[in-house]
Amino acid sequence: MKTYKQPSTVGRFGEFGGMYVSETLMPLLLNLDKSYKKIQKDKKFKKELNDLFKNYVGRPSSLHFAKNLSKYINGPKVYFKRDELNHTGAHKINNCLGQILLAKKMGKTRIIAETGAGQHGVATATVCALFGLPCYIYMGSKDIERQKPNVFRMKLLGATIIPVESGSKSLKDAMNEALRDWIKNVRDTFYIIGSTAGPHPYPKMVRDFQSVIGKEAREQILKVEKKLPDYLIACVGGGSNAMGLFYPFLNDKKVKIIGVEAAGRGAKTEETAATMTSGTPGILHGSYSYVLQDNDGQIKEAHSISAGLDYPGVGPEHSHLKDIKRVKYFGVTDKEALEAFQTCSKLEGIIPALEPSHALAYLIKAFKNKHKNKLVILNMCGRGDKDLFTAAKAIGFDADE
Amino acid sequence: MNNLDTLPKKKILSLFMTCGFPTLSQSKKIFNEMLSHQPDVIEFGLPFSDPMADGPIIQEANKLALSSNLSTQQSLNLIKELSKSKNNTSFVIMCYLNTVRKFGVDKFIKNIKNIVDGIIIVDLPFEEESEIKKSLSKNNIHLIKLISPMTDKKRAQKLLKDSKGFIYYISATGITGSNKLDYKEINKNVKSLKKMSKIPVLVGFGIKSKKDVLEISKKTNADGVIIGSALIQKYFDLKMDINKYLIALKKLIKEVKV
Ligand SMILES: Cc1ncc(COP(=O)(O)O)c(C=O)c1O
Repeated sequence: MKTYKQPSTVGRFGEFGGMYVSETLMPLLLNLDKSYKKIQKDKKFKKELNDLFKNYVGRPSSLHFAKNLSKYINGPKVYFKRDELNHTGAHKINNCLGQILLAKKMGKTRIIAETGAGQHGVATATVCALFGLPCYIYMGSKDIERQKPNVFRMKLLGATIIPVESGSKSLKDAMNEALRDWIKNVRDTFYIIGSTAGPHPYPKMVRDFQSVIGKEAREQILKVEKKLPDYLIACVGGGSNAMGLFYPFLNDKKVKIIGVEAAGRGAKTEETAATMTSGTPGILHGSYSYVLQDNDGQIKEAHSISAGLDYPGVGPEHSHLKDIKRVKYFGVTDKEALEAFQTCSKLEGIIPALEPSHALAYLIKAFKNKHKNKLVILNMCGRGDKDLFTAAKAIGFDADE
Repeated sequence: MNNLDTLPKKKILSLFMTCGFPTLSQSKKIFNEMLSHQPDVIEFGLPFSDPMADGPIIQEANKLALSSNLSTQQSLNLIKELSKSKNNTSFVIMCYLNTVRKFGVDKFIKNIKNIVDGIIIVDLPFEEESEIKKSLSKNNIHLIKLISPMTDKKRAQKLLKDSKGFIYYISATGITGSNKLDYKEINKNVKSLKKMSKIPVLVGFGIKSKKDVLEISKKTNADGVIIGSALIQKYFDLKMDINKYLIALKKLIKEVKV
């Protein structure tokens, strides 16, 4: 493989990506791309962001050797990259800080975002509180129901939540509505997209802001183990935590990389969110990538117990990495994820979010009694607080008993 | 022959309607009613599950059309059937790129060749258009350009270089069905567009009534208007009674045909 250098200047990862938006947004995206390129070279911006990473988020996040889980798997030595320890409880804050600094530099005065699990919504509301900007969060009504703690968090942080009733009432539809808001309010509004999805330059920009995860992990593992990991594993919704971990390792050919998607009730059923396992290339939210769609290109509804993975699309960079076979993608069902959620809690004393529970489930399933003496880094990208109600219900735990 | 090349000079009327809305058979009646007025242009919206640039009314129309599993082929067949009585009316398809791509660009063009005069692909910006544009122009179908208030002069010039048919000027930054009309800004931008290109400039998004149509014609230099959401809105206002709707539609079209 040649040195990995993506995307192209027009936002292509191989054939994927691009900018498929109406002419109302096009000038804005081009302007955003220009501004982003400019701040990438800006030392002051970098310093500001690094300060916030360190003192506000609590970076670097630690690299924890999961001894008990490793023993249980009886296979490789497993490390958790603990982005769940970040302020606000997930990796999403890394990206939000980067984007809000950019929004400030561009003179924007109103922030909008979409959210599924509510983690990106909380992170956006948080940075808006910090920077004193009004914040509007689009959230599917189905997600509002299943992520109540985060809804309250966002309100406390001063954000306005706009329930989305269209379509499947989850992440996809929230993103449609956020894009419509942006089209209506192009002049003053900055849209903080929460994953490596959407039109160029978002997939690249979000990846860059999240790649602090992989950069740290690389240094940390070299320090403790004196070598690179054999495997990286992360869950993939839109793909931002995964790209953040993977990106700094893409040129390390010996490092095998695995992305884990949510397969809902099974990748072969209609109730899945495993875009790359079950989907075909198509256009959603301004980007050409794998999507769940029917023969006429109508986007299907996704299904996953995890609101953060309940998305019928995926970032274009993942589609490219799948096609060039640099990363392998697998699906994990709701049931498997729930089991891993409990296993990890009991064994490591870490209650993971349902999203990384998918990555954990794959690790436990595929590495059990195998790959001894190997090193694995798993991205523990979020904590489970937000999922307690959902998980309790699914497991059949009655809190009143 | 492409009907768009012989559009009248002034007061062009373009009517938008979603294909297959509310059902395929009722949709045929609606389009027949529209055609009976011989508007200059009819825009056929192909329903899409995720119409990013459309407001709640057209979204709802898309949803209704798709709820009976309308296929792209059925929409194209409907347009073909209607084209028998098209006369001088220009037929324009308005759709999202995924619909065309998934159907197959070549197959799509084969299906609409000699039937459809122009196509608006809402989410296909200038930067991504070259391949499709070539295939379309080989088959004498014009790729209609959208220009928004955010498009600056330099960009507009680039976009309008050898463009054909008409220019679709989005009158408000917003999704279809938005309501603020700023005539001063519209006039300024339309004037500037008319300096760049010889083809007519039509104003769309947010035009609802006879009054709006008259104001556009009085206060701006635009060559015509596009009406969409307002036509569809009536159906919901009338509690989805198709017979009442067809009567109201007739009345509204007569009014806006000034
Ligand atoms: C903890 C956590 N992990 C993962 C995701 C999925 O997003 P991505 O694939 O962009 O990391 C989310 C989304 O809300 C999340 O909250």
